[in-house]
Amino acid sequence: MSDAGAPPAAPAPGRSSHRTLRGRAELGVCAFLYLLAAVVLYDAASLGSDFTQRGPVGPAAVPTAVGILLIAVATLLTVDVLRGGRGAPEDSEDVDPDAPSDWRTLALLAGAFLTNVVLLDVAGWIISGALLFWGAAFALGSRHWIRDPLIAFAMSTGSYLLFSALGIWLPAGPFASGV
Amino acid sequence: MRTPPRLLTACAAVLVATTALTGCGPQGGPSAGGAPVSGLRIMVPNTPGGGYDITARSASRALEDSKLARNVEVFNLPGAGGTVGLGRTVSEKGNGKLLMSMGLGVVGASFTNKSKATLDQTTPIARLTEEPDVIVVPKGSKYDTIGELVKDWKADPGKVPVGGGSSPGGPDHLAPMLTAEAAGIEPKDVNYVPYDGGGELLAAVLGEQVSFGVSGASEFVDQIESGELRVLAVTSAEPVKGLDAPTLKEEGLDVDFVNWRGLVAPPGLDKAEQQELTDLVQELHDSKEWKDTLKTNRWTDAYLPGKEFGTFLGEETDRVDSVLTDLGLA
Amino acid sequence: MDALVDLLGGFATALTPVNLLYALIGVALGTAIGVLPGIGPAMAVALLLPITYGLDPVGAFIMFAGIYYGGMYGGSTTSILINTPGESSSVMTAVEGNKMAKRGRAAQALATAAIGSFIAGSIGTALLVLFAPVMVALALTFGADDYFAVMLLAFVAACSVLGSSAIRGFASLGIGLSIGLVGLDPTTGQNRLSYGIPQLADGIDVVIVAVGVFAVGEALWVASRLRRTPAAVVGVGRVWMGRADWRRSWKPWLRGSFLGFPFGALPAGGSELPTFLSYILERRLSKHPEEFGHGAIEGVAGPEATNNSSAAGVMVPLLALGLPTTAVSAVMLSAFQQYGLQPGPLLFEREPELVWGLIASLFIGNAMLLVLNLPLAPLWAKLLHIPRPYLYAGILFFASVGMYAVNASALDLLLLLLLGALGFMMRRFGLPVIPLIVGSILGPMAELQLRRALQLSDGALTGLVTSPLSIGVYAVIALILLWPAGRALLRARRPRSGGGPERRTEPADS
Repeated sequence: MSDAGAPPAAPAPGRSSHRTLRGRAELGVCAFLYLLAAVVLYDAASLGSDFTQRGPVGPAAVPTAVGILLIAVATLLTVDVLRGGRGAPEDSEDVDPDAPSDWRTLALLAGAFLTNVVLLDVAGWIISGALLFWGAAFALGSRHWIRDPLIAFAMSTGSYLLFSALGIWLPAGPFASGV
Repeated sequence: MRTPPRLLTACAAVLVATTALTGCGPQGGPSAGGAPVSGLRIMVPNTPGGGYDITARSASRALEDSKLARNVEVFNLPGAGGTVGLGRTVSEKGNGKLLMSMGLGVVGASFTNKSKATLDQTTPIARLTEEPDVIVVPKGSKYDTIGELVKDWKADPGKVPVGGGSSPGGPDHLAPMLTAEAAGIEPKDVNYVPYDGGGELLAAVLGEQVSFGVSGASEFVDQIESGELRVLAVTSAEPVKGLDAPTLKEEGLDVDFVNWRGLVAPPGLDKAEQQELTDLVQELHDSKEWKDTLKTNRWTDAYLPGKEFGTFLGEETDRVDSVLTDLGLA
Repeated sequence: MDALVDLLGGFATALTPVNLLYALIGVALGTAIGVLPGIGPAMAVALLLPITYGLDPVGAFIMFAGIYYGGMYGGSTTSILINTPGESSSVMTAVEGNKMAKRGRAAQALATAAIGSFIAGSIGTALLVLFAPVMVALALTFGADDYFAVMLLAFVAACSVLGSSAIRGFASLGIGLSIGLVGLDPTTGQNRLSYGIPQLADGIDVVIVAVGVFAVGEALWVASRLRRTPAAVVGVGRVWMGRADWRRSWKPWLRGSFLGFPFGALPAGGSELPTFLSYILERRLSKHPEEFGHGAIEGVAGPEATNNSSAAGVMVPLLALGLPTTAVSAVMLSAFQQYGLQPGPLLFEREPELVWGLIASLFIGNAMLLVLNLPLAPLWAKLLHIPRPYLYAGILFFASVGMYAVNASALDLLLLLLLGALGFMMRRFGLPVIPLIVGSILGPMAELQLRRALQLSDGALTGLVTSPLSIGVYAVIALILLWPAGRALLRARRPRSGGGPERRTEPADS
């Protein structure tokens, strides 16, 4: 089953040019799996399993098994990738399968998300959420300089009011005083 | 990521019955008399439906109905046996409008989770209620008295699994450990099987998965009444009204264990703020509404105001510490 | 049939114009709240509960049932439309449902979900009426060893959805299992992989995992290869379910109805396991296995029906024993107590009118859901016609507000982004996501039950096979394991066309 990811014969047109690159990139997945295995096994080893344990299976047993599974899978995957096996990228209606990775858009989008994580507790949801929406829409190519921020603020204010009407707390930020 | 029982904890997450909404209730409405406190929030460090939750929501309702406060908001911040909520409370330094509903379970959890935030950092406001644990067996069990149970238990603790509704360190874990100790069984040998509170434990006891179950009396009331469960003993020093069961002391086991619940506030409050909160809870305790609440929930009044509660907290912390240290959990 | 007579009596009390209005209001509110991301039925019910306080008990129950079903359906709606499940039971719905929506078949997905929910809810409630006492007795005999056996079965079943490459499937499963390890070990209370962060002590909520890997992962993936030229406009096609949709849906609805109920009735059954099993079952039985992974209607119909009928099953231990086994039923319990109704063994004797009124309310709420939501399905589907930047920005926006609202913790958002990055990586390198979800749900459950079983038997391995049921399940597992070996031999003789459903032989099909 190891070669099942991509058809060995007649690779799809438009993909062959990235082939070697993708081949190397997928080794990153193997590295990730090895790393994950190391983390899991290290954590398992640091558990004291002497107390309150009943029965032959202690708190470290399952993590150890998972770690071993990860190592095995990572090794098999490495072999598979080196032999030319490829995982087929997922298709989606909005994805252009032939396009190279657009790291700029990706970074902008992740940045918009992260901005919200950082700002949320400080600036409140109305500001932070609007930035998230606007930033994400901007990252994805929307360039309506008036409409976008307006929609963003409408969404964040609307959701804030709705949630607080329901009694679900969202950080108010600078608008907190009156509430 | 957790299992369905765990999802009880995880999935229900924050439910906030706001005052805005409770205000729609029949007895709500704005208050007129006195100078009701407003803007008070009570944090529940576990999921809706649990003991701290019911305590907080009942207290909030009683406060509003008795016009002592208006717009009391109850919110849940579950996690790690209450230590997530404890951490939040400790970090809300100087916030005089926040209370946390808590109890013995939080004491244990702050040990087992090695929590940085501890209860002695908080401002104790009051202990409100207490409830003994009961030792129950299903109606088909071969044990009719606690003596018979202890005899088998002593002979081979591993073969007599006991189910409880709290994770190690919680009240239902401490109660059987203290009982075992009193019976001369090494706590480490006790085969304690933790179930996810209420429902799952009850099913395990009724289905005879465990030899006996230990949990709060109120968890089992209906099943005891219908005869599905038999109470062998209660863990408090005094017998419980309405329960036909001896105390462990009467059966020769030196155990005095009750689970209690109370309220604490964030650290760093000035005298006036502290006084305001303790007075409010004192008035709550004296109100007719709270007395009714105690009755409907079959809680035992165990009111202990500010300072005394602080001392009590210290004692309980030491006691839990010593049991858990014995077990290697603290 | 005393039960039926009593039930009719229940309907007699429940079916008044005013009560129907309450049902309608309940469903409308429940759906409206339920579609808010992060708000599952438990939260919807708890939030809206106070509204019912002023009503008489029967009216309150009816509105309550409406809120409940509305909330559940609302969660499925977000699963289908924006790949953001509101709670764990609608995670499997997102898998095929969102794919359907992306292909312009959101209306059909929503319709099959609504009708399936109605049918399964009705069948589940009927089963509740007829078999509650029997089910309770059975459910109580279900021990840790039985749970573990069933979970092993689920793991074996999961192997059939590993995707086209078994190694990549196992990699995904391993990652999922690792995520499942995070948190307090339930048996000994030790922290694993939580690095002293208290928010991690209870583990990572499966909803966060699903939303992170599904919704955020997809947004990142799309961002990395955004189709700059407008895609060929997806024909909305028909607005309603066509004949083929009906033909393909009715069996999954029925199968789901009978699969979900018993799991719901089990004290530790829940809805994750049966919805997942239903998905696998439908994938195996479908005449169109090649559509799975691209929006197969069976993959929505089955899990949605299962989810609703397991919700009805949850009422069994709740009403008959007073056992709340899910978050929703815990909230319900407190709702019942508002009216002095104490669920438990004595309930049916003490308060027959209320109980049967409640059960009738469940039927009514369920029917009202259909009445209200079926016409809305095409409207919801139009939502997907907004420009792509707004759609994905909106998904991130709603995923964020929803996940934050649950715990008011910015840490959850960070987790969401990390899991989104994971989802991105998996999409890019063809790791299937379902095994990850399965691993993260089943892993902790299986470990808990395994260790509990061994603890109850005081360490003896025989503790894993104490009942005929567990032995039976192991026999089934053995059969399943041997079956593909035989089939693989057959398959090997045939040309490649027999490959897994996710095998792609062309760059893209769109």
